[in-house]
Order: sequence, then structure tokens, then C-alpha cells
Amino acid sequence: MRQGRLIATGAMLAFCLFALWQSLLLSLTDRLGPGPGFFPFWLALIGIVLAVALLITTAREPRDPSDGETHILPHGPGALRWLAIVALLAAATVAMAVVGFRISMLVFNAALVIALGERRWWAIALFAVLGSFGVYYVFTTWLDVLLPTGWLEF
Amino acid sequence: MEALTHLLQGFAAALSLNNLLFAFAGCMLGTLIGVLPGLGPAAGTAILIPLTFSLDATGAIIMLCAIYYGAMYGGTITSVLINVPGEAASVVTCIDGHQMARQGRAGSALGIAAIGSFVGGTLATVALVAVAMPLASLALKFGPAEFFALMVAGLCLVVGLAGNNMLAALLMTVIGLLLAMIGVDPVRGAPRFTFGVEELYDGIGFVPVVMGLFGIAELLLAAEKRQTHMISAELKTWLPTRQECRQSVGAIGRGTVVGFVLGLIPGVGAIVPTFMAYVLEKRISKTPERFGKGAIEGVATAETANNAYANAAMVPLLALGIPSSPTIAVLMGAFIINGITPGPFLFTEQPALVWTVIASFFIGNVLLLILNLPLVGLWAKLLKVPFSYMCTGILIFCIIGAYGLKQSLFDVWVMLGFGILGYLLRKLDFPIAPAILALILGPMMEKSLRTTLEISGGSFAIFLDRPLALAMLVVPVIVIGVLIFKPRSLSPLRESDVE
Repeated sequence: MRQGRLIATGAMLAFCLFALWQSLLLSLTDRLGPGPGFFPFWLALIGIVLAVALLITTAREPRDPSDGETHILPHGPGALRWLAIVALLAAATVAMAVVGFRISMLVFNAALVIALGERRWWAIALFAVLGSFGVYYVFTTWLDVLLPTGWLEF
Repeated sequence: MEALTHLLQGFAAALSLNNLLFAFAGCMLGTLIGVLPGLGPAAGTAILIPLTFSLDATGAIIMLCAIYYGAMYGGTITSVLINVPGEAASVVTCIDGHQMARQGRAGSALGIAAIGSFVGGTLATVALVAVAMPLASLALKFGPAEFFALMVAGLCLVVGLAGNNMLAALLMTVIGLLLAMIGVDPVRGAPRFTFGVEELYDGIGFVPVVMGLFGIAELLLAAEKRQTHMISAELKTWLPTRQECRQSVGAIGRGTVVGFVLGLIPGVGAIVPTFMAYVLEKRISKTPERFGKGAIEGVATAETANNAYANAAMVPLLALGIPSSPTIAVLMGAFIINGITPGPFLFTEQPALVWTVIASFFIGNVLLLILNLPLVGLWAKLLKVPFSYMCTGILIFCIIGAYGLKQSLFDVWVMLGFGILGYLLRKLDFPIAPAILALILGPMMEKSLRTTLEISGGSFAIFLDRPLALAMLVVPVIVIGVLIFKPRSLSPLRESDVE
């Protein structure tokens, strides 16, 4: 936990340093007053001070004996479910640009419910169809929400 | 008197068939969100935004507000029946509510919660009617300096309630503000931090960020733990006895006051009023030993405070344009998506909309009472839906919500990225609420500050000439300074207070 917080705070410090550098590339002031870089410059500077302070206070905290049992990244049997959600969501987003919402969600729905433990084929098929073609129909026809059709225009 | 006239006109519009349907649908969906453990009101409201894309602004806002207070009530059901709070504010209800359920009094607990929620919500809306317009009129006298100071004060209050985690909360606020800087500069129109990516010119979408940080992150946490819940209490009746009603009257009154007053303060969060109301009730009770063992006053006061808070939290949003919690920030985002800027001008520029929405709060509270008492059994059955279907179904809504607003798959990637980030931040105990509020307030804060400095020719001394702005800047900064250096003696309510 403590190590994880140190790494996360370090990443935030890096983000603030990057923002400071980028804001310096913009004008801080111009003839009308503060320029586009003014607000982000000061924010980044405050962020750096806060991140350094947090790094110091976290580093000085006594080690918690239960720290070793705390997992920051997914672990155990749950890690596979975690990975399945992230990987399938990413794959569906890529696929949507190519084959559109309906087909990508048909596969996404079926794959995810299987990955999360469902084994009844008829329930999987019904859910996959309703959650893709059914949802597409409801959102585009009744709710006027445009959904991706992909390169195949489907 | 003027407010009353406007309110009556608001009722005429809110009682139209369409708006009634939107309020009804919002209450149902909100309760559903509240019932599902782990999916809080902020994520739930954000996920359901796409349902309102085709509605007119008034209908969309009515529905989203109904989703919000429906979710605030829905959390009670799981707290009582299975001892799992549907949303954070219902934690306190578990203490006595589930004990009552184990004694065969689940119906009494849910009944008094519904009645308390109705009374607290309705009285808080009456107070909102009385307070919001004068507050908005006062805010109309504010210049950009006062608005900047007000937004700083609002963010400071959010940070100030982070307890011992205040440095992290401050850092998260700054990160949120920096993320808000991405896109075209609101004053000069120059692109910032866009790196040539066309999708970043409009800035990072608020809806995909909220869906990621709350919705996706919560699903990832639940998937890792694989939460399975079993109904452990049966429902025999849904009405409290006469004696239980008598016992609860005072608790409901006090819960309303605590919830309303704390709801006016940005950053308090829904959990603090419920804790405070519970602690107050226990302290003034002649039989405090009953608390924790099924005291109906404990359920009544916590649930009343919860709903009074939910309605009171609309006051800073409608009158000042300051969101006091992540869920209210999502609602503010929904206002902006519909072309409406919450704040003092809302009452003068869009009186029909604002009063229709306020009138719909009353209607929504009545609908919740009518709907939830007889439908409790149905909501409880929803908990038996397997996680695989619930998770996939929620993800479908998240994808549509993230994509639908700008028809951009880039926003779906943003949602996924912030989902993983939210998962890590939650595990590392970094508070997310300050970053969300900062993200939505960032552009307005920058615009106010830069306009102020343009008026003064770049001199910060303008704040010295404006005492109200100075006070709003200095007081919260001092309070935060004191809290950082004295975290233990001044920390807010702890869980031990309700043991």
C-alpha cells in the first residue's frame, strides 16, 4: 500500500512537471492580461509542491505490517475476471470502428458472460442478441442515439 | 410570494403527462441503481445520461434528478435486507435496519425509511424553494472575483472533509483542474495540451471520465472480489406499527434539519449527515442501548437525513452553480450538455425550467413513496440477477453513454483508461471526488480568474478591494491549513461514533 502510494504520487509529480513544461510553451501573459499558460502554470507549480509534500509524508509513515497482504494490482481468481473485462472492452472498442456496434457487442456480450461464469448456451445467446441488436434498435429508433456502424456500415 | 407563483407554474408544467413519465422512469431507474450494491448514484446517474439524449432539456433534467434521489432511496433496501449498503450513505441504515430485519421487522424498517425519506425530501424541497431564489439574487451581485473565490471555497470544503487524507485530496483537486485545462483555451481560443489530437480540442469529456472513475472502476473492484449476495431477511409487511411511527416522529424531524443544513455545504457528502443524525439521535435518546440492536429511530433519522441532504444539495447547484458532491457534479454536467448553465442566472434566464424541475422534486418524492413501499419485494428479487449479466449489462450502458454524446470511440477509450485509473486510485485510498468536482469547475474557475485579472490589469490586489471575495478565499484556506496541521483533533466523524 505504502509503496503503491509512493509510486502513484511519483506519477502525479511527473504529470505536474510535464504540465509545467507544457504550460511554459504557452504564453503566461499577453497585452490583455493572463495568457493561455497562466492558470495551468500555477496549478502545475502547486501540484508539484503538494506531490513532493505527499511523497515526504508517505515515505515517513511507519510501515504497516498488513501492507504485504494488500494487493494493488488484481490478484487471485478475480484477476482473470478483471482482465477479461478490460481486454474485452478494449477489443470491442477496436472492433466497433470496423464492424459496428451490433456485431462487436454480440461477440462482447457472449464472451464476457462466459468469462464471468455463465455456461447455459441458450441464456448466453439470448443475452448476446438482446444486448446487441435489441439495444441498438432501442437506442437508435426510440431514443435517437447514434451508435457506430463501422466501415461495413452495419 | 414570487417564488410561490413560479412554483405553481412549475407544478403545472411538471404535472404534464410527459414530465410525469420522465419523473416516474427516473425514480424507477434510480431505485434500481440504488438497489444494486456497488453502483453508486454518481456512476448510475452518469451511465443513464444516454437515455435522456432525445428528451427536451426539462424532461432530461427531471429524469436525471429523479434518478439521483431514487438512487439515494434505493440503497436502503439492500441495507435492511442483506446488510449491504446499496450506496455509501446507506451504511448507517445497516446498523439498525438489518437488526430489525433479523427480528422479522424488515417491513417496518423499509416502511419508516420510505416515510422518512418522503418527509425529509419534501421538507428540504420546501426549504429549497424559500432559500434558493434569495441566494441566487445575492449571487447576481457577484463579479468574476467573487465567483472565482466561491469556487475555490467550494473545492476547499470538499478537500477539508477528506480527514487525514487531505494532502492527497488537495493533489487530486489540482490533477482534476489540470485535466480540465486540456482543450481550447476558453478566453483566447488557443489549443492547450492537445498534442495535435483532434478529439482533445473539446477537452476531456466529463461523462466518460465519471463513467470510468466510478462505473468501470466499481465493476473492476466487484469483479475482483466476485460479490455474491443472498437475501437473508424475509418481508412480511411493509408498514411500521403505530408505536413505531410515534417513536420515529422526532427522529424524522431532527434528521430533516441535520440533512438540510449539511446539504447546503459543498463537499459534506451524503454519508456525513446520516452519521451525524444517527449520533445525535443516539445521544439524546433515553435508551441509547437500543441503538445497534434494531432501534427504529436509527433507521428513521438516517434515511430522513439522507434524502433531506439529497434535496438540499440542489441549492448550491441551482443558486450558485457549485456542485457539492460527485453526483451533483454529474447533474451539473447533464445541465451543461443540455445547454443550461446552473447558477444565479438560471432563475432569471430559465425560470420555467428551474421551477418545473423544483416542482418535479415534490412529485418525485411522492412517486418514490407510492412506488417503493409495494415494490420492495420486486427490488429485492433483482439482487438474484447473476453478476455476469449485471456487469455486462452495465458495461453496455457505459459504452453507449461514453460514445453517444459526441459519437466518438475516443471517449470510450477515455472511459476505459479512467476506469483502470479509478480502480488503482480507489485501492490506494486516493479520494476521487475532489478531482471530479475540479474537472467540472476548472474551466469556469479559470475564466473567472482571468476575467478578474484582465479587469485589474493583471494585479491580484483586486481581491483586496473586494472583501467578500477575499473572505471566501482566505477563510477556507485557513481552515485547510489548520486541518492539515491538526488532523487528529479536528478530524470529522469516525465510524466509532456510531458503534
